[in-house]
Amino acid sequence: MSLCQHRWEMDDVQFGFVAFERCFHCNGLRTFFSLEPTPVIGDEYREGQCYWSRAENAQSFRFGLRCSRCGERQTFDELMGLLFCTGCDAECKVDELRRQHETAGSWVLVAFGFMDREKRASVPEAKLEALADYFNQRRDPSRKQVRLVSYELIGDFSRCEGDFLHDVGMLSLQPPPPRRPTFESRAADIPDQETADDDPKPR
Amino acid sequence: MTIQSLVEKLGLKPLSTFEDREIAGVFVSDMLSDVMAGAKSGALWLTVQTHKSLVPAANLIDVAAVLITSGKAVPQDTIDLASKDQIAILSSELPTFELVGKLYALGLGNT
Repeated sequence: MSLCQHRWEMDDVQFGFVAFERCFHCNGLRTFFSLEPTPVIGDEYREGQCYWSRAENAQSFRFGLRCSRCGERQTFDELMGLLFCTGCDAECKVDELRRQHETAGSWVLVAFGFMDREKRASVPEAKLEALADYFNQRRDPSRKQVRLVSYELIGDFSRCEGDFLHDVGMLSLQPPPPRRPTFESRAADIPDQETADDDPKPR
Repeated sequence: MTIQSLVEKLGLKPLSTFEDREIAGVFVSDMLSDVMAGAKSGALWLTVQTHKSLVPAANLIDVAAVLITSGKAVPQDTIDLASKDQIAILSSELPTFELVGKLYALGLGNT
């Protein structure tokens, strides 16, 4: 274990896009970081029974941290983004923590890993602590402190209306439409399983 | 220079309630990712972005105030969220370029 009182600096910054893909067959959602110069919305491809379609490209960046004192590095390749809790679900653990920490003078954001259909990447606790330290070191220490928690504390994703700190619609000349909640239930969009297996065509 | 004195010098319109504090410099960008990667604590952030997600981004980096340029209309949910966190949302009819010139003349530089 390092004895260094790390002083973190952002390192190896790459601007790109967080791509959100949905499968209209299984209603799966997956995300990944893309360095494409001009990503296309609606780009579709088939993978087994699934038809994936690019639903959204959110401008974002990926980065690492480097300690200016000891040179230790942390990478955050699994970090999809930070989500701002809107207090949409009073039973959610994140909202409970948000309320507790607001009272105590700190401020909660939710760290999300990239998602792949069924599973979501975890961001290890040590990395969350390093990232929170980094943001707090950038802040005036007399003001509120930032606390980062894992998305795994979210009780029910289908009720989560949190906002990601991503740039959406920046490539369009038109004002962007309101962003749909990322995890909203799309049961109505899910094709009947038997019908879908028989005729899995894009709609 | 404090937020309040800047409001008076440039005739800015405060949209949210805020805690007055010193401005350390100026950062100009319409992208949250730019701000998260490059802005510094105490910055005055000039943007035409008005979505409420600018408030948590400003909060994360501890910017002193957000100045919405070109008279862009700011949604009420953005203003309410900023007021809750005591982040100054200011508005001006002037375009970003003119405001940057005036801020530079007042002695404010890059953060």
